[in-house]
Amino acid sequence: MAQTNLLSPPSTISPPTALQLSQKAPRIIANPPTSSLPWPLSLLFSAETPEAWVTHENALYACLRTHDDAAARQLLDRLSARFGESNERIITLRGIYEEATAKNNGELEVVFKKYEDILKQDPTNFGVRKRRVAVLKSLGRTSDAITALTMLVESSPTDLEAWAELGEMYAKVGEWARAIWCAEEVLLVMPNSWSAHAHLATLHYLSTQSSPHLAPLNLSLKNFARSIELNDSYLRGYYGLKLVCQKLIPLLSESSSVSKRNQDEDGPPPNLETVKKLEELATSKLAEIVRRYQPGTKEWQGYDGAEVIAARELLNRDANTER
Amino acid sequence: MAFLGATLNTVGLVFLTHAVYSTHEHTATSPSAPLPLDIVIELLASILVLSAGIVLSSPALKPIQWAQWSGKISREGRHGEGKWTREGEEILSEGDPYSFLGLDGGIGGQGEGRRGFWDVRAKRKEYEAWAKTGGKS
Repeated sequence: MAQTNLLSPPSTISPPTALQLSQKAPRIIANPPTSSLPWPLSLLFSAETPEAWVTHENALYACLRTHDDAAARQLLDRLSARFGESNERIITLRGIYEEATAKNNGELEVVFKKYEDILKQDPTNFGVRKRRVAVLKSLGRTSDAITALTMLVESSPTDLEAWAELGEMYAKVGEWARAIWCAEEVLLVMPNSWSAHAHLATLHYLSTQSSPHLAPLNLSLKNFARSIELNDSYLRGYYGLKLVCQKLIPLLSESSSVSKRNQDEDGPPPNLETVKKLEELATSKLAEIVRRYQPGTKEWQGYDGAEVIAARELLNRDANTER
Repeated sequence: MAFLGATLNTVGLVFLTHAVYSTHEHTATSPSAPLPLDIVIELLASILVLSAGIVLSSPALKPIQWAQWSGKISREGRHGEGKWTREGEEILSEGDPYSFLGLDGGIGGQGEGRRGFWDVRAKRKEYEAWAKTGGKS
């Protein structure tokens, strides 16, 4: 999966991949997509496609990451020449460039002030509002970032990216109930997203990690089960399902009277038999993924190598305890 | 399969054109006489051959059930389909449509989702640390 594609970059970019991506930049800079001919001819002989500008944007990100600021500047200049200095996205990209080239926190504060000024003129520029949060996060001011984000989702409650970010920030500081709320907001708009279901399940699972309770584990089980219902080869969903089942089985078998107590709005606790079956399903599916990924079957290479290794370790641990 | 499909398409098109031309010629020369049987047979046979060719040369069907469709994306990942843009970037197959939420990396994951909140300085520091260790992963 080590693809270095600027049009659709991989979902995780390690430093070596970033280097490979940014090494493509000189070729892009050398071949401008806009035509240099005078006006009527330039319309006929232009090689401009939407993909060309996506490639430019991704190349800009890659160059900034690898400290290739000169190339980044050239790409940014070309983008601003094409779309205009006052374009919202260009303003955001220029902001990212300035953030990247800021040498210390003092210079970053200057960039932050600039964002404030831009927002005073046009408070609807969401790109800049998000950058503002990102700068606060980068400065380590997490509580300010959370406040800024709550303002952002208040004015735009369907901005899922912001809800997801806010949820993650709450999760990082251990505010599980609020993180779960944010994850549910994401699910309200995108109820078919398997990753959002698995994320919500993970939060429920983590919120009760220190002292396992039945109710959150039950919700976690339900959401993991939904995530694999929406995606029949979702490694993360099966992995989580197995973990939750392993916690649930002792809880369910030690006290059969729990079933009477916990009949609240989350529904009845799961049947022990069902949980055992779900664990078997998760184990067999994880084993299949691990087995097929190893010999490099072409149809099974979509997984993240680290995730497959984690799944194999989980299975090994399981096999050792059973022996 | 692709070769067989293309052959059938070519043969079918040739015969279909021939049948249409024959019909035109026949109606032009003798407008009142009924169409001879051989032209009708040629027409029908060529259409059958052409249909078979089109079906054979069409791309593989895609899963229409949500769980299977998403499962295929998870299993196979994004891969090239033999098309490139002018910049030399390959156009990849469909990817996870929810990756923009960045929820796949877990809490504090290093994924590339949520572009709007991209922490450029953290990524630069990560790269710097990697470059300082001599570029070994």
